[in-house]
Amino acid sequence: MSEFFHMGGYGAYIWSAMATALVLMLLEPMMLVVKRRAVLKDIKRIKRLEERQNRKN
Amino acid sequence: MNFYPLAGKLIPIFWLAAIVLTAIGLYWGFFKTADAMDNGMKEYYRIIYVHVASAWMAMWLYAVMVAWAMIGLIFNTRLSFMMASATAITGTIMTIIALVTGAIWGKTSWGTWWDWDPKLTTFLILLFVYIGYIALQSAIDDTRRSDKASALLALVGLAIVPVIYYAVNCPDPNQCASLHQESSLKRVESNILIGMLVTTLGFWMYSFATILMRARNIILERERNTSWVSKLNEVN
Repeated sequence: MSEFFHMGGYGAYIWSAMATALVLMLLEPMMLVVKRRAVLKDIKRIKRLEERQNRKN
Repeated sequence: MNFYPLAGKLIPIFWLAAIVLTAIGLYWGFFKTADAMDNGMKEYYRIIYVHVASAWMAMWLYAVMVAWAMIGLIFNTRLSFMMASATAITGTIMTIIALVTGAIWGKTSWGTWWDWDPKLTTFLILLFVYIGYIALQSAIDDTRRSDKASALLALVGLAIVPVIYYAVNCPDPNQCASLHQESSLKRVESNILIGMLVTTLGFWMYSFATILMRARNIILERERNTSWVSKLNEVN
């Protein structure tokens, strides 16, 4: 098993390349989810404000 | 807007396909390639799976982005422009992955992280074109104008894609030095090729998933004042 991670002495290079791809490809969807929540929250807030305004009129 | 709910249904399917295909591709590449290792291949070539997959996607997504932008310019469809800008960031991320994994691979096989080799240099320009597109789009407040201006920039930048492709096919080593090996699928051992192609398919499915997620975000942002958005389950 440790031989597998050692990769004939190139383990550090191979695994850091894989980790770069993994980290970026996890960060991107995470940021998309954060963005979606923020946009939805904003839409809800404006909707509530409008409803309050309509009731006053 | 039928696209929004449809995209929402497709996203989990693309995620599943992305995870399964990438896992199979990498498994194949790491565990089924003993033959290639016997022929004296060094272990570091295994970087090929993420490097080639991300580099191909970086160039392909650029072409896809230009296609959406052109459809937007010709038919004046808002959704096409939204798809174009949704594609740009995933393309940028693929370009960064290709450059970083390429640098790591370069360090092992050429002994240097970076060289102003034609392929590397043109690929760096691709990154700048992507960033230029995103920057131009966010610099102009009026969405219709920013869509059109950035679409034109994307079209001009398209010139770099064939240059990247041909940058390694140097006919005479005395005329043009090129460290980056020629891209020739015929010379790749078949099990490595399977690993490479399946991982690329996985990255492609990943791109579909993230681009659709971003397109939905852009739609919500741009259409926030319409009645169909206020009727969505998400905001009630």
